[in-house]
Amino acid sequence: MSTTTYTPRRGTLARTESRQALGFVSPALAGLALFTIVPVVLSIVMGFFNWPTFGDKEFVGFDNYVRLFTQSPDFWPALRNTFVFALLYVPISVILSLLLALSLSSRIRGRGALRVLFFIPVVTPMVANVLVWKMLLQPQGLFNGLAQSWFGVQLPNFLADPQWAMIMVVVMSVWQGLGYNMLIFSAALEQLPESVVEAARIDGAKGFRMIWSVMLPMISPSIFFASIMTMITSLQVFAQPQLLTGGGPGNATQPLVQFIYNQGFKFQELGLAAAAAWILFAIIIILTALQFRAQKKWVHYEH
Amino acid sequence: MKKIHVGAVAAAAAAALVMTGCSTGGGDASSDTVVIDMWAGSQSDTDALNAQLEIARKQNPDLKIELRTAPWGDFFTKLTTNMASGNMACVTGMNSGMLSSYTDGFLELSDADLKTAGIDLADFSAGADEILSNKGTMYGVPFDIATMLVYYNADLLDAAGVAHPEAGWTFDDFEATAKAATKDGKYGFAVGMGDFQWQALPIAKAGQQPVEQDGTLALTDPAFVDAASWYSGLVTEEKVAAPVASASDTGWGENQYTGQNAAMAVDGTWNAVSYLNNDAGFTAGMTTLPSGENGSLGLILGSGFGIAKSCKNPDAALKVLGSMLSPEAQDYIASSGRSYPARTASQPLYFESIDEQFRPQVEEVFTKAFEEVQGQYVSDNWSKVGTYIQPQLVSVYNGQESMENVLESAQQQFGK
Repeated sequence: MSTTTYTPRRGTLARTESRQALGFVSPALAGLALFTIVPVVLSIVMGFFNWPTFGDKEFVGFDNYVRLFTQSPDFWPALRNTFVFALLYVPISVILSLLLALSLSSRIRGRGALRVLFFIPVVTPMVANVLVWKMLLQPQGLFNGLAQSWFGVQLPNFLADPQWAMIMVVVMSVWQGLGYNMLIFSAALEQLPESVVEAARIDGAKGFRMIWSVMLPMISPSIFFASIMTMITSLQVFAQPQLLTGGGPGNATQPLVQFIYNQGFKFQELGLAAAAAWILFAIIIILTALQFRAQKKWVHYEH
Repeated sequence: MKKIHVGAVAAAAAAALVMTGCSTGGGDASSDTVVIDMWAGSQSDTDALNAQLEIARKQNPDLKIELRTAPWGDFFTKLTTNMASGNMACVTGMNSGMLSSYTDGFLELSDADLKTAGIDLADFSAGADEILSNKGTMYGVPFDIATMLVYYNADLLDAAGVAHPEAGWTFDDFEATAKAATKDGKYGFAVGMGDFQWQALPIAKAGQQPVEQDGTLALTDPAFVDAASWYSGLVTEEKVAAPVASASDTGWGENQYTGQNAAMAVDGTWNAVSYLNNDAGFTAGMTTLPSGENGSLGLILGSGFGIAKSCKNPDAALKVLGSMLSPEAQDYIASSGRSYPARTASQPLYFESIDEQFRPQVEEVFTKAFEEVQGQYVSDNWSKVGTYIQPQLVSVYNGQESMENVLESAQQQFGK
């Protein structure tokens, strides 16, 4: 090892120090091993086993993966639903929250209060949010009641219609997640270097040109961060469909994580669930890597 | 070398941590401690369990008895993990509808075991031995028995000018009542989403269960398909019930009933008292499932206790189980009105606990409802079948899918 090239005295010291350092980090290492590494490794192993919660475990190689892709009637729909959700949710959420942040960045009165208002859904428990949305959306709910009394129109049964159900899950999620991204963008907009903005203004930039050519490039690291995080959370979506639509009607809104949950905790097929979880992990890693590669083209770092 | 050495120490330390992590909170703390694991959704549930626990402690002064509880939904998730990690409590609560997924964890109860527990099944309601049995093997003894009833909102029926249903009514009476009560934005009936709630009427009408006694799935049996299609037709054709709003509304029918949007709904005897004393303040009534050409078949359901297969001291556990089901404990459950006890001798106490104005009706309906009952037959993957069908029911009730198709695809998927 490299320590051998040093003089004996320094080598001894370095060795002592590294030993002491290890002693100090060992509680953290033990924690990491116990709560992260062991479960992760275990889940990889589980993916290759027929692993009922009780009874004999049996090594099946890639059988779980094959079963998911070829036999499981719910896996492909779950994959499709996850992608549909992400494709709808990520752009809408990022663009809307960006617009919101931009419109609240000028010094209008009460913008602090407005920001708080838009952030409230993020901090209220999802269960409460869903309850409110259910009361709005169900046939005896507010929307249908208003539509009938004002226009005499019968609205569709939103959460029970295969097409509408997914749209409503997206709408509710966008409403719920808007404030978080808005806060990130607002913070970035607040920190725009005054000198650059002023220089652009002197050059005659304003309105759309100002936003598109000056502000957006300068907050592009924040946009990148927000879109990566939003994409990851959207691929892991679970609570909204579970609570709002129960994955239904049929399996029309059942995302991958709910599929994993059902396999693991309702059907007690832990092996199958672990395999599906690793497929989700692979998808997230690949998409994130692609985004990191693409960011070189559009994200500008000052430093 | 040194680094590897330190690494090995760290790994050993981590492993030691893992092991201690596993061994705490187990059900095998010491052999003279018997842990009881039971669901309890509220403080009053826990208080009631503690009262039974006291009885068990008095009867077994030599044993240390501890209670673990979790709400109904979490209880079975926890039981799954406890079973997997060998931490299942010696005396574990079980429900007839859930047993099939957990039979692996429970000890098969023999006559000798029952004798150790001091239990004579002859003291229990007829059919009680079928409640926690699966394919003829007994895994537990019930403390309460239940079946499904039709509950009605007397105020809504009066407002619609419809006579209250009587025990022993027919399916024609049921349809006529539902039709007459559907007016002024209220529905005559509310369909169920839970397995028991939605299947009760189809089973009564068909006179048979969707599973055969040996556990073979029989969802596509013509009689059951017809009856189930008639049931979903209450929404789509007869329009006497509202379409369900979302697959996450697992308690749809019951909520519509308590929300006074529907005049009738099907639910278990376990909710009789809470409906009679409902918060909304309407006058609730109850009656048996209607009968038709095929009689009025009902399921006998219930909850009870079983012994964990992994239990180190099954004899002590059996004694505790016996105490939890002893006449004293049963009298306590009955007189508190919490549930309808499985011991026949304790059953009158249940009726006595009920408010006088409802007592005659409850006694008449309960007695009649338990006359024509059968233990529930389930297939090995019955919980999967339920999980599959439930979200599909939403499409059925909204007219996008037919009941026949849903039952057929469920049969194809799970009937192999």
